[in-house]
Formats: sequence, structure tokens, C-alpha cells
Amino acid sequence: MPYLGSEDLVKELKKALCNPHIQADRLRYRNVIQRVIRHMTQGLDMSGVFMEMVKASATVDIVQKKLVYLYMCTYAPLKPDLALLAINTLCKDCSDPNPMVRGLALRSMCSLRMPGVQEYIQQPILNGLRDKASYVRRVAVLGCAKMHNLHGDSEVDGALVNELYSLLRDQDPIVVVNCLRSLEEILKQEGGVVINKPIAHHLLNRMSKLDQWGQAEVLNFLLRYQPRSEEELFDILNLLDSFLKSSSPSVVMGATKLFLILAKKFPHVQTDVLVRVKGPLLAACSSESRELCFAALCHVRQILHSLPGHFSSHYKKFFCSYSEPHYIKLQKVEVLCELVNDENVQQVLEELRGYCTDVSADFSQAAIFAIGGIARTYTDQCVQILTELLGLRQEHITTVVVQTFRDLVWLCPQCTEAVCQALPGCEENIQDSEGKQALIWLLGVHGERIPNAPYVLEDFVENVKSETFPAVKMELLTALLRLFLSRPAECQDMLGRLLYYCIEEEKDMAVRDRGLFYYRLLLVGIDEVKRILCSPKSDPSLGLLEDPAERPVNSWASDFNTLVPVYGRARWATISKCQGAKHHGPELPNTASFATSGTLIPEENKETIQELPDSGALMLVPNLQLTAEYFEKTWLSLKVAHQQVLPWQGAVHADTLQMALQVVNIQTIAMSRAGARPWKAYLSAQDDTGCLFLTELLLEPENSEIQITVKQNEARMETLNSFISVLETVIGTIGNIKS
Amino acid sequence: MIGGLFIYNHKGEVLISRVYRDDIGSQIADSALFSSSSLRHSPVDAFRVNVIHARQQVRSPVTNIARTSFFHVKRSNIWLAAVTKQNVNAAMVFEFLYKMCDVMAAYFGKISEENIKNNFVLIYELLDEILDFGYPQNSETGALKTFITQQGIKSQTKEEQSQITSQVTGQIGWRREGIKYRRNELFLDVLESVNLLMSPQGQVLSAHVSGRVVMKSYLSGMPECKFGMNDKIVIEKQGKGTADETSKSGKQSIAIDDCTFHQCVRLSKFDSERSISFIPPDGEFELMRYRTTKDIILPFRVIPLVREVGRTKLEVKVVIKSNFKPSLLAQKIEVRIPTPLNTSGVQVICMKGKAKYKASENAIVWKIKRMAGMKESQISAEIELLPTNDKKKWARPPISMNFEVPFAPSGLKVRYLKVFEPKLNYSDHDVIKWVRYIGRSGIYETRC
Repeated sequence: MPYLGSEDLVKELKKALCNPHIQADRLRYRNVIQRVIRHMTQGLDMSGVFMEMVKASATVDIVQKKLVYLYMCTYAPLKPDLALLAINTLCKDCSDPNPMVRGLALRSMCSLRMPGVQEYIQQPILNGLRDKASYVRRVAVLGCAKMHNLHGDSEVDGALVNELYSLLRDQDPIVVVNCLRSLEEILKQEGGVVINKPIAHHLLNRMSKLDQWGQAEVLNFLLRYQPRSEEELFDILNLLDSFLKSSSPSVVMGATKLFLILAKKFPHVQTDVLVRVKGPLLAACSSESRELCFAALCHVRQILHSLPGHFSSHYKKFFCSYSEPHYIKLQKVEVLCELVNDENVQQVLEELRGYCTDVSADFSQAAIFAIGGIARTYTDQCVQILTELLGLRQEHITTVVVQTFRDLVWLCPQCTEAVCQALPGCEENIQDSEGKQALIWLLGVHGERIPNAPYVLEDFVENVKSETFPAVKMELLTALLRLFLSRPAECQDMLGRLLYYCIEEEKDMAVRDRGLFYYRLLLVGIDEVKRILCSPKSDPSLGLLEDPAERPVNSWASDFNTLVPVYGRARWATISKCQGAKHHGPELPNTASFATSGTLIPEENKETIQELPDSGALMLVPNLQLTAEYFEKTWLSLKVAHQQVLPWQGAVHADTLQMALQVVNIQTIAMSRAGARPWKAYLSAQDDTGCLFLTELLLEPENSEIQITVKQNEARMETLNSFISVLETVIGTIGNIKS
Repeated sequence: MIGGLFIYNHKGEVLISRVYRDDIGSQIADSALFSSSSLRHSPVDAFRVNVIHARQQVRSPVTNIARTSFFHVKRSNIWLAAVTKQNVNAAMVFEFLYKMCDVMAAYFGKISEENIKNNFVLIYELLDEILDFGYPQNSETGALKTFITQQGIKSQTKEEQSQITSQVTGQIGWRREGIKYRRNELFLDVLESVNLLMSPQGQVLSAHVSGRVVMKSYLSGMPECKFGMNDKIVIEKQGKGTADETSKSGKQSIAIDDCTFHQCVRLSKFDSERSISFIPPDGEFELMRYRTTKDIILPFRVIPLVREVGRTKLEVKVVIKSNFKPSLLAQKIEVRIPTPLNTSGVQVICMKGKAKYKASENAIVWKIKRMAGMKESQISAEIELLPTNDKKKWARPPISMNFEVPFAPSGLKVRYLKVFEPKLNYSDHDVIKWVRYIGRSGIYETRC
């Protein structure tokens, strides 16, 4: 209704607005104006009555004035020439004796958003800045920012900026905060408002007089201030201490951020602050304001990244209630997953198990993935729970459990046996593409341990014609070929049928190409197939990539209390246009380059691998599992076989080094934390004859060199030399990347 | 800063739209206000499609559409959305939206579509005063009253004008000068909501009380108030001298996990002496908010017993026990016992109150008007089920409860509230004070 027939309506309203009888009766006049505004809100074009509305602005009735000004601010950009007519009235109102009228007129004038209005508003704004009523000053100060916005990229008016800086001393708290906001916008090109020592101290003293919005904003501006001395720094922290307990969560968060940033160099102060905000944060997490609770939970997760044990004793606070909204439940499950430790793991898993059978499929899947996450540390318990869940024979549960198993087997090879035992029978309860792919992958890679694997795959091959997802077909091809390598007798026939189908009948090009590729590969010979398809079945080191170990507080302190924790770092990077540099903490290794080195070994490393087979016939065994205890015992019992010093520059990027060593089958047993001095690492490797190589890396940054100590359990010179050359190459390449 | 504020009804129609900044895309402003054809492509419309009309549950109260963040809060079936392109802090935006809701509620009561439509002029006026260029300005309801002219036909009288000036220059933002009452009166409400999550075996999984002390003050002048309660820390401090008093009162004192105060409370004094002193705003305000987790008096115990008899029958027996002084009466008790989706019929027998099976809600709702302390009551129900071939096991949702009791489940007691006004001639004794305790159920669930 409101979208149609607007012309008649405009005509009618126009008539009413012009009617002298209505104009005489204030209430009726106001009613007509209200109707105009109502239609405007509903999306009707009301710009037709602009002229009449301008006339209506010349009134003493303040309610009417407000309505008309609201109308004018909306339509002025469409009717700039007519709007100029209203300027006169507005200017007159700017010198009205009533401060409220002055403020209103000034605010409306600054919000007109049309070209050419600047010359009219400049003088009223300047007058407004010196008005005796603070209400008008508040408006005028923000008016400066609006005026600057209208000008666009025009240059900054120095006198105005100075005037605003002096108004920072105004006695009205809102004027002070508005000044900061205004200066920030005007000086955006030059990096925003400058907070020097006198301003910072002035603001600190005024803090308690401000309202919650002001406090939150000023805390944000104070981030820019760099105290000169340690003493001053701690004075500021003491002064702001009470804001950590403010009743407004946004002030608490703002204060927390300020503390974290100011105490950048004092990790113990940072930890202390995080302990102190624990209470307020927990209160926010269990508050009745759902949305605030959500925001708080996001920040709790952020803190947990650095201090995993921080909320462990309060784990029960993060148990979900049945009636909570979906988004809070999902966040809580994530939090539970991160704060798990030896003491509470039993209870947390028990609780998560309860969620798995929740009516909301979405939530139950999130809970299952969470158990999968915990399984990386507490494998046995979790695998048992997941296996029990399979017994429920529910489609939406089974598919997620199988996907979790797939990821788990890759990261924690020790659970392969249990997973393989649990798998038979689940194929009946999987319908969706993701679940099928996971199941097929598992059957292909670990098929030799699952007795009925060929028969399950056979079912899939039988039904391949009715399969709708190409991805499932591709997975099936690869899995069947892999299984064929380990159990040829049972698979040969159906592999033939599948290849025939894919090449002759399949319509999806990708699937067809994959089929052809495998067919041709088989023609080349079985050894070539093995070389290509028998890749490692698991890679525990990837776990590190998945969730990088404890991040230092400083890496996220600057993101605290922004949208970054709410959206997640990765998503925020895609949202914000200016992604990159600003949001990366300096301490954080560049994750992008990491990903590439994970998937596509960098150039230098590739060479080392190819060198390997012919470098003194040394073959290091992949997936050597050596416990730290055993390593220590052996290390102490052996003599040093070789010692050497290599050049090294800069800090150690532990993960890169570990990745590179992994590539040449050298296992990392233990490493010091990044940045520790001296930095140490212990490595182990074993060749195909069973000879163990134990290595210590010692880095002393002052000398800019790395010391290598190798011990060997069987004294054999030639293998030792080739091992050392491998190690040299790796360390050489990594060292070069850094420099 | 906030780029714009929109209020939608449950159908996704825009009831109120106020754009403060152009950066949220002029197409938002244009389409929402001018042309209906381009409306289809604007982010505001995208919000309707992606959030209000979304089939699944809302995944986050912060939604990003076309690089614009939408922060939404839902009150009954009204959606309030703040829109911004900047990297703002989420807590502040949500707090602002809550404040906005409070302010609107203070002016016209419940936030409903009808109320919003009837008061849209007022809402625009409020939006104008509370936010300027997207920055929050004055948002105290009391202080706002002087600026908002809902029924102000006349241009203002001299007195009112001077009021504005004193208000805008005054030192205290939350109270204006020159308030006079013939009768100095104050009302103190201790409102608590007790939350419980209990295992089927009767073990408390988590319990906490979140409470508020709400004060309504009708006091003349600039009175200085001091509020005291049975806070464990205070009582132990005082009791140091006389040891026997500690043992006597120690039992009744409570440990507060954390508390926050209205802006008017002097925090420095609270930190040093743990005394709560303040100059109250005029009218109603929330003095403090607190949370306790220890020694909570759980007003009701729910003991569920569910037995499956074969595949088509379910026997449910639920006992509730009230656990407080026999002289007190709990009110508005409601127990909600969920039933499986394939329920075909229910027979209920209860000793007290009324119980009914509500098929649309999949639950037996048992209502009892009043119940004294230390009593117990039970309900038994036979639920007949339709045989289904759905192998899905019934994921028993918890039994939830609602009630209202006339005491504070945290054990909080108001010890005193003293009023001093040195300039006017009334003393603490002349002030009439009323104190009331109300404990309500928050999320009070027992798993079965």
C-alpha cells in the first residue's frame, strides 16, 4: 500500500499543508507534517512537498521545527536549490535566545549534505564553538567534523584545529569527547588527533566525570599515548585501575585493552590484568543480555589462545543451557574445547557428549567437531565417545563422526587401529557428500586393516551411476586404486568396472579426466602407481599448523575490543579492505608463507629431497616415533660423535624449521620457546639399518651461529657424514631464508 | 561510531531508519527512503533476507553483509539494528542498543510494533539527541527529559530554559538541581534471578544468582546516600573487634563474586572501605548489579522420574520440593515437562494446581498459583506414543521451571540505607523507605 499511488498522496498532503485553516491550527498542522514524515520513513518519495515544508519551518513551535528539520536533512541532497531557501530560517534560529533551538538549528544545518552549504555554515559553527551553552558547543564541535566531511579532501583549517584543541579543556565532558572525535576525523590524513603528555594527563583526570560512552572512547584514544617513563606508566595504570571494574562492559574491555598495550613490555602485568578482568568477563558471559554475552565469549576465546589454563577452573560456567540462543551455544562449545585440561577433561567430554544428541543438527555437529578437536590431546577417551555415537545410527551424527575420524587419523596416527574397528557398518547411515568422501578416503588409505573395505567400496561402485556428487566419484577412484595396491585380488574386477564407467559414461569432465589419468598411470606400471599414490598416511606435524601453540598476548592485544575477535582474524582480513600489515602482530610468523611451504615444499627444500637417495645411500625412516624419555636416556648414555658450528642470523622460526626437518624425515623431540636465549632443540632420526642419530641444536644469538652436536648409537662414519650433510643443507636453507 | 540505526518489524519492514553517516553506503539511505525498486539491492534489504528471513537459527548477532557490519538486538518481535563500516567495539554498540531500548521503554513502555509506530516522532527526536554524527551523546533518561518535547506545544517557559542551562553546565550529569518533593520517599527493590542446571541425579552442575538493586528515589535537593548490605568482606572487617558477632552474623553474610555500580557510586570509596555512597539520580535507576555463586538457596528441587514402558508408552513422575521458610509463599509456579514429538495422548494426575498437555509446545505445563515453603507436590503423567519407524532416540530436553519468591536466593539483605542532605531541613528519619525482595527464576533447568 505505501509504495503505490504516492502521487495522489503527495498532492493531498500538499493541499493540506497550504490550507490556511490548517496552518492556523497548530495541532492539525503538526499532524499533517507528521504524516509526511511517516510516509517518508516507509519509503515513499515525499520530496514533492519540499517547498511547503520549508515554509512550515518558520514557526515558534519547537516540535514542528524538529519535524521539519528532520525532513529537510533527508531531502536536501535532492533539492539543493530549494534547500537554500531554508538556510535563512536556520541561520536566524542559530541566534535564537533558547539554547535548544540554537543547537537544533546548527545540527540540522550541518547535516544538510548538499554542495555549497559550507559557506553558510562556517560562521554559525565558529559562533557555536564559543556559545555559552554547552549543548550548543557539543553540536558545533561535531559540526566541524561534518563540515570537513562535506569538503572531502580539502585541506585542514589550522585555526579551527587549534580552536578544537583548546576546547579539550572545556568543562562539559561531552564537549571534550566530541572534540577528540572531531579532531580524529579532521586529522585523519595526518594520523588522527595527537595525544601528548598534557592532553593525556588532562583526559586521565577527567575520566571519572565522563559517561560510559565517553570513557570507552577516551580509553581508546589513550592507546596512542606513549608514557615517557616506567614510573609514569604505572601511575597511569593505577589511576585507571577502577575502570577494570566498571559497570559497563565496554569500558571494562576498553580498559583491559589499554592495560595490555601499555604494559607491552611487562608480561607479568598483562597476566595480572587478565586475571583481574576474569570476574567481569565471566559475569558478562553469564549475563542475560545475549548479544553482549556473545561478544564477551568471543574475547574469552581470544584470551584462551594465549593462556589456555585461564578459565579452566570455571569450565562449568560455559556449559550450555537448553534455552540459550544458537550462537551462544556454538561459542560456548568452542570455549569448552579450548580450556580442557587433565582435571576437567572427563566432565567436559561428558557434557559435550550430551550436546551431540541435541535436537538441533547444527549444534550436535559442532559438539562432535569439538570432541574431535579435544581428541588431538586426549585421543583414547574421545575416540571411545565418538565410537559410541556411531551406535546411535543417526545420519547427521554418523557423517560428522566419520569426518572427524578422517582428520584425526591424519593428525594422531596412534588412533588408527581404534578408528578402523569402529568403521564397519557406518556406510548405511551416510547420505551426504562430505560424509561419503570421508568414509571412502578412510577405506582407501587404511583399507588393509578393515576387513570389509572392498565390499563397502563395491557397493559404492555399483551405485556410482546414481551418485550425484562428482567429488564423491573422484574420491572413490583414488580410494579404490589405493586399495587395489594393498588388496589387488579383491579389487581388480571392480576397479576395471569403475574405470570403464568413468571413462566411457561419466559426463563430468573432472571425473573423466581423473579416470583417464589413473588408467594411463596403470599402463605405465605398478611401481609408478605406488610412487604416486602411496603418500604418507598421517602427518602429526600438521597439528601444529592447525592450531599454532600459545600465541603471545602482544600478538592480539591490538585487536582486543574490536571486531576482529568477533569475526575471527581470517574473516576480518577479507572484510577490511586494508588487510595485511596493520592486523598482523609483529611477533607472529607470516602464516601465508607457511601455508605454501606446507603444501608445496619451497624450491630449496625440493632439491634436498631429490639429493637424498644418492647422498651416500642414507635412507631415513619416516614416522619415527621416539618418546622424550627414551631420547633423554639414550642421549645421556652416548658420546658425542660430531660437533660443528654453522652460521645463523636472526631469530628461529620454530615451525618453519620443524616443517623443513619433517620433510627430510628428521623428527623434532623438543624445542625451546621462540625467543628463548639460548635457544635449543633436540632432534632424532633413524636410517633403514636401525642406526639412530640424536642431535642437539644450540643457538646463541650474540655469536650469530648455531652449534650442532650429533650422537650416534652405532659408530659408522659414512652414514654420519651423509646425515650431517642433510642437516647442513636444511639449516643452511632455513638460515638463508631468514637473512 | 554508528553509521545508521534501523528498526524492523518481524516481517522485515523498516519502521524507523536514521542514517548518520554516508559511509554506510548512500544506497542504504536512498533505497530505504526513496525508491522501492533499488531497495532490493541495498544492504538493509540484505539484512532482512539474510537474518530476519533466514531459515536457520541466527548464527551471530553481528552479521557482515557487503563489508558492512549489522549489530542486531531482538526485543519481542522487533529487530533493532545498528549499522557501521568501521572497526568498532562490539560491546559498546550492543550496550548502546540496550540503552536505546531502555530509553524507549521509559518513554512509552513495551517495545512493540504498535508502540513504535505510534511514537515514531518521539523516536526520531530521541535518536537525534542520543546520537550525533554516529557518536553517542547524552543517554540518561532523566537528563534527556529536558530536551525531548513530545507534548511541548508552547515554546518553553523561562523556568524550563534556565533548567536546560543548569543541566548542561552542571557538574553531575545524572541529577539536576532544585528537585523538590513534599514527601521524601525511596523504594529499594532487590531483584534476583536464580539460574540452575541440575543433573538427573540431583547434582548441581552450575548455579548462579544474578541480582540487581533497583532504587526509586523521590528525594529533595542533592542528598548523599549510603547503602549497606550483608557483604561478607564488610562484615568480617567490622566483626574483627567483637569476635562473637562475627560468628553470629558470619552465617548470614554472603560472598559476592563481582559487582558493578551505577555511575553515581563513588568507586574509590568502595575500593578502599567497601562502602557504597552516592548521590542518586531522580526517579528509577539501577544502583548495582551483582553475581553470586556460593551458598545459593535453591528455592525448588525438581526430582524427575521417566520410565519407558514398551515402545508406545512413557511414565513420567515429577516431584517438586520447596526449600524455604514455611511462612513464605512462592507464586506463579510453572513446571514445563517436555514430551516426545510423537505423543498421541497424555493423562495427567496432579495433587495441586492445574496441569495441561500442550501439543503445540510439546510439553506438559503444570501451573501452581501459590506454594508455601517446605512443602512438596507431585505430578504423574502417562504419555502414549505413536509408534514410529524413526530410529532417532528422543533427546530428552530438560524440565524447566518458573517461579517467583519473596526473598533473595543469594541471601542478600539490605542492612541500611541512610540519607543525608545537609542543605535542606530533612533528616534520615523523615525519609520513608520501602524495601522489597523478589527472587525469580532465570534459566532453571533439571535434566531428566
